[in-house]
Amino acid sequence: MILKFDLSNENLALLALPSDEELCYAVPFDVDENGAFIDNSYVAVTRKRIFVLQQGALKQVYKLADCQKIASEPQIDCGLFLITTKGEEWVAARFSGKHLSRFSYVARGCMMLLAGKHSLVSSDEYEKICPKCHRALPGTRECPYCTKKGGGFIREFFSLIGPYKKQLAVILFFMLLAATITLLGPEIQKHLVDDVLLNRKGTLSEALSFLGILFVLSIGILIVNIIKAYLSSKLGSTLSRDLRAKLYHKIQILSLSFINDRRPGELMNRVVRDTARIKEFMQDVFCNMFTVFVVFVCDMVYMLMLDVKLALISFLFIPVVILAATSFRGKIHRLFHRQWQKSDDVNSSLQDVISGMSVVKSYGKEESETQHFNELADAYAAINRRNEVFWAIFYPIFSFAIGVGVYFITYLGGIRVLNGEKTPGQLLQFINYTSMLYMYLNWLTNLPRQLMNLINSVERINDVMSQEPRIVNREEATDLAIQGAVEFRHATFGYKSYKPVLEDINLSVKPGEMIGLVGASGTGKSTMINLIMHLYELDDGELLIDGKDIRDIRLENFHSQIGVVLQETFLFSGTILNNIKFAKPDATYEEVIRATKMANAHDFICRTPDGYNTYVGERGYNLSGGERQRIAIARAILNEPKLLILDEATASLDTESEYLIQKALERLTEGRTTFAIAHRLSTLKDADRLVVIDGHSIAEIGTHNELMEAQGIYYKLVTAQLEMQKVE
Amino acid sequence: MPKGPQKGSNSAGGGEEEFNLEQMEKETEEMLKLRYLDDSNAVFERTQGGFVSVRIKEEFYPRVQVIRMFPFSDPEKYISIRTPDEHSKEIGVIEDMKQISKETRKMLEEQLNLRYFTPIITKIINIKDEYGYAYFDVVTDRGACRFTINVGGHAVVHLSETRILISDIDENRFEIPDVTKLSARELKLLDLFL
Repeated sequence: MILKFDLSNENLALLALPSDEELCYAVPFDVDENGAFIDNSYVAVTRKRIFVLQQGALKQVYKLADCQKIASEPQIDCGLFLITTKGEEWVAARFSGKHLSRFSYVARGCMMLLAGKHSLVSSDEYEKICPKCHRALPGTRECPYCTKKGGGFIREFFSLIGPYKKQLAVILFFMLLAATITLLGPEIQKHLVDDVLLNRKGTLSEALSFLGILFVLSIGILIVNIIKAYLSSKLGSTLSRDLRAKLYHKIQILSLSFINDRRPGELMNRVVRDTARIKEFMQDVFCNMFTVFVVFVCDMVYMLMLDVKLALISFLFIPVVILAATSFRGKIHRLFHRQWQKSDDVNSSLQDVISGMSVVKSYGKEESETQHFNELADAYAAINRRNEVFWAIFYPIFSFAIGVGVYFITYLGGIRVLNGEKTPGQLLQFINYTSMLYMYLNWLTNLPRQLMNLINSVERINDVMSQEPRIVNREEATDLAIQGAVEFRHATFGYKSYKPVLEDINLSVKPGEMIGLVGASGTGKSTMINLIMHLYELDDGELLIDGKDIRDIRLENFHSQIGVVLQETFLFSGTILNNIKFAKPDATYEEVIRATKMANAHDFICRTPDGYNTYVGERGYNLSGGERQRIAIARAILNEPKLLILDEATASLDTESEYLIQKALERLTEGRTTFAIAHRLSTLKDADRLVVIDGHSIAEIGTHNELMEAQGIYYKLVTAQLEMQKVE
Repeated sequence: MPKGPQKGSNSAGGGEEEFNLEQMEKETEEMLKLRYLDDSNAVFERTQGGFVSVRIKEEFYPRVQVIRMFPFSDPEKYISIRTPDEHSKEIGVIEDMKQISKETRKMLEEQLNLRYFTPIITKIINIKDEYGYAYFDVVTDRGACRFTINVGGHAVVHLSETRILISDIDENRFEIPDVTKLSARELKLLDLFL
């Protein structure tokens, strides 16, 4: 995301910056104080001042030294840039949703300048609109229009299909064969008419032999088309499978931040839908593309060779065909889009009612719901009927419009036949070529849309492929047998550079120590754990494991030595056994059983019908929350981790399973460095030290007793929970 | 009691306040109350910076947030006056903007205009549909504007049979209060998205 726009010379002249005062940020705003849209208005920031430029005039200048607070405050569909000076909060600028996140970054950047920090914030978010051509970007960094002008895209597409040269060559051969046979047909028909049928020149056997040739040709084209379609589908499937595999692998190695920045469905769409689009393109469009091109060009050349005048006249109808084809397609698209939307309405209403049946029934609303549904169904039926009628009436008209040139050619050609300038067979041949021309033209008019779909899909795929994972093994990274000492040194981190979650964290943990992390929600406890798991990297400062920088330990090696139990236990679709063995696939049965016994999971597993082979996960055997949790604990134990992470591992469980899990965890944490987050503070009573996080940093450290004596935040939290328990 | 608003201003102190069950019960009890504000009990004043403050007897709030409870169905009624901090608590409710003095009403309307920004489309100049995105060129009550919507998504929401809201890719929203009042040409342009 751009945080420093280029200002025009007029605007720069207004700022009149001295040579030692450099622009740090310059972002546009688009709404004035009366709420009207404006352009050419910017907030510009240097290390000393904040300028507000509005429509070619300098509206306001704030000295950074006078500012106490600079903030971007989201409103409804707009936002305000607020500056507090001398205790008074001022609305410095107003903007629509377009610039909301931009101003959040800039506000944070200003606050950092205010605090005397030298670093500037930057944003990895993508722009939504291409700043050059103002088209919407399909979720990519680069604009497919601006960067792929000319041969760029074609090159990219060929680099995609490049590895399949052999298959391509075979398909190309069949495409040319199909073109040849298609073009041959009318020529043979001409001979049949002129040399055999007319004036009864030929014999029956000659006629039959011509018919035979025509028959063989149509069979031939059928076979060629089948082979061609088969090969193209095969190539399309292979291509999309390979792409899918590459994408999947890439997504796996990309850092969590890349995945978290996107909506959940988006990456799935790229893996599933965009690769499927490429496959569809290969089998529906690509396999015919060259045939159509070749036939189209040869067809025109043939027509010119046969009869220049007539050919030129029939070319005159090309615009008519293009117009008819595009407008008809547009109309059809509109109509069926509506139909599709209405059917969507019907479906979602149905889904609503069925999934909320108990509510509908308990409020006695069956009648009104039925009526509502009937209304939707009627609307759908009406639109469906209308579309069918439209199709029935207009399709013949459309075919007529496409073929109108043919009628014209028949008339003109017919006159020539009557005058003896042309044989009937030649006319027939010409007419056939003309209809072929229009037919293929119709096909070609649809090509741009399909090509654009393909370009967008390829672009979205390349966007993922060109991402560099932010957390990679350093060259000097080595394996380390972890003892369990963890140390944070001046650690600072935020998921977005404008919003730090942890600031200047200093904490040293000895091997085998159990640390309880305490604090209100959203204070950064889970973030700290994410950092220890090396899912994210620090923005500033150091994180040391046994005195070694965490980035110098090989990722795979590090992750094989940590165990994790989270609040939301994720079990993969598969058996209980496979889920437990996830971290250590070569574990023996005995090891698995020992682990499940430690986790108090063995007994309930034995009670399930298929024991350790019971299928769990989506659509699998239904395990309770406590049971899933114990499987997760077994999974963590099996790995023999030196570093253990428990994030709300006992939350939302009933008392009995909590007791069992508590016991399991006690065994688990023995002799291992453990970081535990728990909302219920009694769970952390065994912790060696408690770390209270508040306001982005560590507020208190100490044992339970020390912190209770200090009567700080922890003391208050504990008494609050005790009070609440009394109420219960 | 006047402690309330001050708490919001030094925001770091979430955990600093002593936990007190009585206090908490009192607060929950207060949340149940629907306190109506009008000229007799509340004094609103503009701040220098462009906001509004309110004094209700001995309570003083240096800046308040003014929000609509029913922005679509009844934008003039049930206006909630709240504290502007993250935990935004309700200070009181104005039942009907018509029942307060002109001066106060103007002040609060300015605040509403500052908070809400949903331009009303008065004229559609053109809509270009290109590969999954539609580019709108319109005139609104806030001036001329161009915006882009995602065709595949649920960009157009029907508030009623004839009233629609269009969300663009930046999550701005635009309203057409009555589609039947559009010209035949405008309707044809919009047709695909209805």
